Amino acid sequence: MHIRKYDFNYGRRSLLKKAALGASAGVLAPLFPLIARADDPAKAYPEELTSIEMLTKGKVKVGDVINANNVEYVKDLMDPITYMQIKDMGRELELVAPITDASKLFGHDMFEATIKNAGKAGLDKDGNVIVAATGEPWIGGMPFPDAKSGLEATANLTLSWGRNNFSLYAIRDWDIDPEGNVTYQYDFPWAELNATARVGSDGPYLEGKKDYLRYQSVWFTAPNDVAGTSFLNTWHYDQRKFPNLVGYLPAFRRVRTFPTNQRFEPLVPGISFFLSDAWSAGDPMLTWGNYKIVERKPFLGAIGNNWDGKLENWEKPVHGGPKGQSFFRTRVQLIPEVLVVDAEPTGYPRAPVGKKRTYIDVRNQMVVDYVTYDRRGDAWRKGEPSFGQFVDGDKVFKDGSGNTAWSFTHVQFHDVQNNRISRFSQTKEITGGYKSRHYQGDEDVYNKYLTSAAMQRLGQV
Amino acid sequence: MKNSVFKSTLCSMCKYPIILAGLINYTQAGILEEVSISSSGFIRLETAFSTSNDQNVSNQTGNPFNNVSISRQAYTPPALIPNISSVLGLPVPEVGTWSTLPLPAIDGTSPGIRNVESKESDINYGIIRGELDTKVNFNDKISLNARIRGVFTSPDLYETHFDASEFDSFQGGVSGGLSSLYHGESNYFEYRVEGNDKPNPLEIAGDNYLIDFPALFLEYNTGPWNFRLGNQQIAWGQTIFFRVFDVVNGLDLRRHSILDYAQEEFADERVPSISLRATWQATDNILLDGYIQKFQPSVFGNPNTPYNVIASQFTVHDRYDEQGLNDSLNFGLRAKGDYGNFGWQAMAVRRYNPDGVFRWSKSGVVKDLPNNLGTVGNLVNLAYAGTLDRQFASSGEALANSPFEVAPTGVCSATEYFYYAAESRLDGYNGLNAAIEEFEGPSELFASTVNTIEDAVAQLDTFFMAAGGCMRGHIQREYYREDVYGIGGSYVTSGEPGSIFDQMIINIEMSITPDRVFTNPSLSKKRIVEDAFVGALVAENYYRFTQNFPATYLVFQYMYRNADDLVGRSLEGYGASAPVGTPSPGDIQIPGGVNNAQYLAFAAQQPFPQDIVRLGFAVLYDVRGGILLQPGIRWKPSGDVTVEAFYTHIDGDLGGNPNENTLSTLDFADELTIRLGYQF
Repeated sequence: MHIRKYDFNYGRRSLLKKAALGASAGVLAPLFPLIARADDPAKAYPEELTSIEMLTKGKVKVGDVINANNVEYVKDLMDPITYMQIKDMGRELELVAPITDASKLFGHDMFEATIKNAGKAGLDKDGNVIVAATGEPWIGGMPFPDAKSGLEATANLTLSWGRNNFSLYAIRDWDIDPEGNVTYQYDFPWAELNATARVGSDGPYLEGKKDYLRYQSVWFTAPNDVAGTSFLNTWHYDQRKFPNLVGYLPAFRRVRTFPTNQRFEPLVPGISFFLSDAWSAGDPMLTWGNYKIVERKPFLGAIGNNWDGKLENWEKPVHGGPKGQSFFRTRVQLIPEVLVVDAEPTGYPRAPVGKKRTYIDVRNQMVVDYVTYDRRGDAWRKGEPSFGQFVDGDKVFKDGSGNTAWSFTHVQFHDVQNNRISRFSQTKEITGGYKSRHYQGDEDVYNKYLTSAAMQRLGQV
Repeated sequence: MKNSVFKSTLCSMCKYPIILAGLINYTQAGILEEVSISSSGFIRLETAFSTSNDQNVSNQTGNPFNNVSISRQAYTPPALIPNISSVLGLPVPEVGTWSTLPLPAIDGTSPGIRNVESKESDINYGIIRGELDTKVNFNDKISLNARIRGVFTSPDLYETHFDASEFDSFQGGVSGGLSSLYHGESNYFEYRVEGNDKPNPLEIAGDNYLIDFPALFLEYNTGPWNFRLGNQQIAWGQTIFFRVFDVVNGLDLRRHSILDYAQEEFADERVPSISLRATWQATDNILLDGYIQKFQPSVFGNPNTPYNVIASQFTVHDRYDEQGLNDSLNFGLRAKGDYGNFGWQAMAVRRYNPDGVFRWSKSGVVKDLPNNLGTVGNLVNLAYAGTLDRQFASSGEALANSPFEVAPTGVCSATEYFYYAAESRLDGYNGLNAAIEEFEGPSELFASTVNTIEDAVAQLDTFFMAAGGCMRGHIQREYYREDVYGIGGSYVTSGEPGSIFDQMIINIEMSITPDRVFTNPSLSKKRIVEDAFVGALVAENYYRFTQNFPATYLVFQYMYRNADDLVGRSLEGYGASAPVGTPSPGDIQIPGGVNNAQYLAFAAQQPFPQDIVRLGFAVLYDVRGGILLQPGIRWKPSGDVTVEAFYTHIDGDLGGNPNENTLSTLDFADELTIRLGYQF
């Protein structure tokens, strides 16, 4: 007989209480020391926060599929839009067991740097992350592994989007109309190179680039009418500044400078993705404000087990919606504690977004879900990423240094007011021969993908 | 979209078994293991429906003098007045002018009626276009980029389709110039120059089709260096449509001239050229970009095609090949620096001006003035036969050594001559004198320079009557080297968040071309040489007017030019005028020129949510009284299908003399263009 040490709602009450106090993650014990030892994060929580079966009093268990028939039992573990998708649109979620080795929630270098640099970060008077002792830009790893404020939690997301020094994502996108048809499909590589806050042996900063946070480019390779469209964002380290944006539009045949303060616009026809959506931290974090942790709670999130490396081109099966095309197959696990962080676009007074609510897994401080609300306060759009190590049974994708790759596997956006969905899958390869990878090595990726000259070259059609 | 990877591409190539077999062999040998091939393309129907009754006056069927009765009077050439006075004992002064001694109306060629039928076409432009892009990545450094473009039109679409051979029975037909352009039916796509029927080696064209390669180049990338070798287009500068730094490639105006969707700029117009281009990201902030290029001139619409802008009474002799420019090279270097909110750029280009320079040319056509008894032509022939010290055997030989050809489809009256000179931004008065002074033939036939417009009219009508109707003018197009230097600066503003002044990008670009050679409005061989300055200011931003729609893209531009207009014509030819009909000489104005050309442009794009529908609007205003308005819409109902429609309205007569603004040349082109595209 299992003897319960705490009453059933102890964990939830504790989380509720902590939300207002700025306390550390964990209920029974501080979480981060367990993380640092690559231990089982569950040890920091009572069982009803780590066992879906216990949390639902046996109604739902690991291995089950959450669908319209049982979603009521886990309604509190998801955002309202996910609930609607399952209840009304035929979406299903597969429940898997929570990760028990905390190191699997990270890429290798990110994990090492987070442990190594824990406690060294601070915020300067402007709100930028610095090394507290020196005032220098951040030196890699999560700056706030035990975030106690909304701004700290957002800094963890912002400073290293993909959590690798360099990533090239070969992304295939399907865009679904309200009738459930795939009406648009795009291929685009997305490259990120951190200039500061770097991890591993490459040093915390790219030489001579301390003033910048990252270089990020995206260029479309298909279909024909958008092929060659490419953009390069150069992010300042100072998060009060807008990135510099240059782009190559095939019609213009040259790289031009573009305004960068409008970040809530569809990049190409039919897509439900804005620049602002990237990692739910697509804008310099100090151009948003009023960050606030409004809740700590258990949550269902896709934080592992979602890489389908054995499938053709890593492309996931789909289901749901009017035509069975609307959603990727997604495996979720019970996350014992997420931060629910609200923020407002204070630097964008004309933005259509009134508020963004981000759900952040406290174990690896990664976003697992977010919802934006319009100016009237109505839910508008949802972004739902999936992260994890690239392991599919006996098939493993390495990051180039011999370690198992860790990245996002897919992300889904749903504009519920227009009922349009965009599904991004990080694939093995897309049109143009671009392949996903998460390691820089000795390659001069900066000149290859992340300069004006590169935009001219990559954009040419 | 097609094939992302080599294997799937192979499947799509199954219809090419030989190629496929070859590639499989390479693959088996491991040579192509790194190779990836991707291809995609589209097919598009493009139709521009005319929405006005105006026709292109540069074409035969749009000539406002067609079937208009124009009174003509022949006069005794001043050189012959003493002879007539003494021989016939007439009471006329021994010294006179072109309007001193009228000849009796003896030949029935007055009034002169231009015997070409005017026609109206409901369709200005109709093509089916196909483009196929292929990219082959041999490895991570070397790739091949190819885009092939094919367009096809049908002459049946155009009521205004013209066939010069239908006039072979009049005045002996048209003889001068390239047969493919001037002697038969409208040739919609062939680009021809004298002595070379393939001046662009990478295009295949016929009367109704054109196949070329907007891009066909090998690319090699290593670190900050990038090299491209092959047929390519190069565009520089931040301004859109206003070409300040965009001087590398000429324009190909054979398809939809400059009347494509303004928001696309010159995507379909830049002439690709075989080039070597090297780009060097020298530092994080500085980019150097240089090229060596085979010189390819701009390509104008052929005579009697929808957007032709050269009056079709002219026969143009393009000397590109005869000047030996086939193998000539252009060079250029640009440096560009970006420092966050500030930027600069500078360029130096040595090139042949792709627009070329025009001047009178010998016609080379030996065709006598008609010799029917009693006609003016007969009188001239008799007089010339009686000239003891003549240089040529006949009036035909004399005309071959003049810029004129006895031919139908030419200019038939002095009034038409001056009207078209004004339309073409030329000086008809001094043009006549230049044609007489600079060639041996005219004076042999008793032509002489004039001092008044009245005398010019008299002399011109005399010769048109002597020709038995009309005469075609021959001009030649030549090219001159020039150096273009440019500088520019950019600044990104910081304003109140959400205001239109926040993140506004402001650019100033300027270029100077010392001693640029321009066409003399008189078409004299004494070309105009002038320092040409071009300056432009552009400000652009995105602004959200409402939270219900994505931000609107707004761009405002201003351009100033001191020596030429937007399309490169000397401003000295501006300001002439002549009415249609039979005017008095006082109605004819020779060009006074204007000091500068200034243009304002404003464009906006408004996407709807999800950008499935996007509205566009562009306006170009010539401060001297011309305007182009172009609203448009693009609808992309699915990934494969795109529908675009844009309406172009041009008014070149907002006030003052329409020949003092650039846009009146295309005033006829009010049209609704619809494109239906399917991509694969």
